[in-house]
Amino acid sequence: MSRNLWEIKRLRLKPELIWSMALSSLRLRMGRTLLTLLTVSACCAFLLFLLTAPISDDPADRQMWGLMITLSLLVSVAGVLNTMLMSVTQRYREIGTIKCLGALDSFVLLSVMLESALLGLTGALLGIVGGLILSFGMGLLDAGAGVFAAAYWSGLGWKILVSAFVGLALTTLGAAFPAAVAARMPPVEAMRGEK
Amino acid sequence: MPEATAKTNADYWMADLSQAVDCTVMARGVEVVYEMGSEKIHALRGVDAQIFTGEYISIMGPSGSGKTTFFNVVGGLMKPTAGSVYIDEIDIAQLDAGELAWLRCRKIGYIFQSYNIVKVMTALENVMLPMLFAGVPQDEAQYRAVEILTRVGLGERVLHTPKELSGGQQQRVAIARAFANRPAIILADEPTANLDMRTGEEIIALMKEMNREQGVTVICSTHDHKMLDISDRIMWMEDGLVKKLARRDEVDIQIDEFEEEHRE
Repeated sequence: MSRNLWEIKRLRLKPELIWSMALSSLRLRMGRTLLTLLTVSACCAFLLFLLTAPISDDPADRQMWGLMITLSLLVSVAGVLNTMLMSVTQRYREIGTIKCLGALDSFVLLSVMLESALLGLTGALLGIVGGLILSFGMGLLDAGAGVFAAAYWSGLGWKILVSAFVGLALTTLGAAFPAAVAARMPPVEAMRGEK
Repeated sequence: MPEATAKTNADYWMADLSQAVDCTVMARGVEVVYEMGSEKIHALRGVDAQIFTGEYISIMGPSGSGKTTFFNVVGGLMKPTAGSVYIDEIDIAQLDAGELAWLRCRKIGYIFQSYNIVKVMTALENVMLPMLFAGVPQDEAQYRAVEILTRVGLGERVLHTPKELSGGQQQRVAIARAFANRPAIILADEPTANLDMRTGEEIIALMKEMNREQGVTVICSTHDHKMLDISDRIMWMEDGLVKKLARRDEVDIQIDEFEEEHRE
């Protein structure tokens, strides 16, 4: 009785597949994607505006603005968390199915994280553009022609970087839990009959 | 039930050993216990079964009989609480998560009751997916996917998305996808339950043809009598145990008897 014992191997992660999975998921849920995009970009725009716009040095004012930034960040994280959790729970059976077809936990984890990071990156870019426009308008009112002087915009580079980083960080933070939920989901889910 | 045909598991166990046929699946004393809060539910209470290479076996049983659990254990979707399951002589309890993923990818093809075609992908991409997971190069995967889709009769529809396909066509995509990596086992969970009768018959015929052509072992859970007609063997489960395991030609009358017994 001859039997060929097969060699047990491991599958390797396919980065290009992770990309296409994340992109198609974003495309399918375009409506909600745009809404979250708006939240993230509004938050980034607000942050950049506050960093660049001329605000009084009164400590009480500064404290209030600080509070508002914190609140807008929290709202944004909650928005991302909600979107990604919905995106994951809606796809329970689909995730189970691709796990049956050989998707690794890390594949699922990374594709959800990437989906959210793409959202964060786009949101941050839009937010930065929006924030700059706001700051420019405010500066025009405040300093008149002085807004065209290079000195007015000192340190703009790092301010943009900070805003972009915050945008990306908050989407990553919001996606961490949903991604873990998706990755840990057992493939048996795919067998459940109901839609 | 006539005495002559009422064979026990042990009879088959002995018979199988003497024939020395290749087994794709071997289950020994498989027990599965679910814990629901403080309550323990015994879904399987010591199942012994051998499934031979290349055979088409149907699993029947009322809901709650442990059919689905047995299915999940054999499919590497769940580990048994006790006992062992061997797939091609490998004890699946020994595999870690990464190796199980490989097993599911290369050795097992799944066909679901509700098709489970990935919605955002075309038929072609759906069939390519398991091959890409397995490391087949893009070009080759595409070539093979078109080949298999043509085989199941969807050669003209490779670029359609699930929305543009009927239930029967979606199930054909699922069959193509299940066979894509040339697995050792096809696990089909009530593949015709959501289809009308004629489409169901076509799907059954297709599965049987693929089973013959490729020599793949097919394990299929079903309530569908037409499905039983093309099976090599039929396994009845009840209350977490294998009640009966018999060849198709031995069970002509008993299907009705069994159904009668369990009509509620």
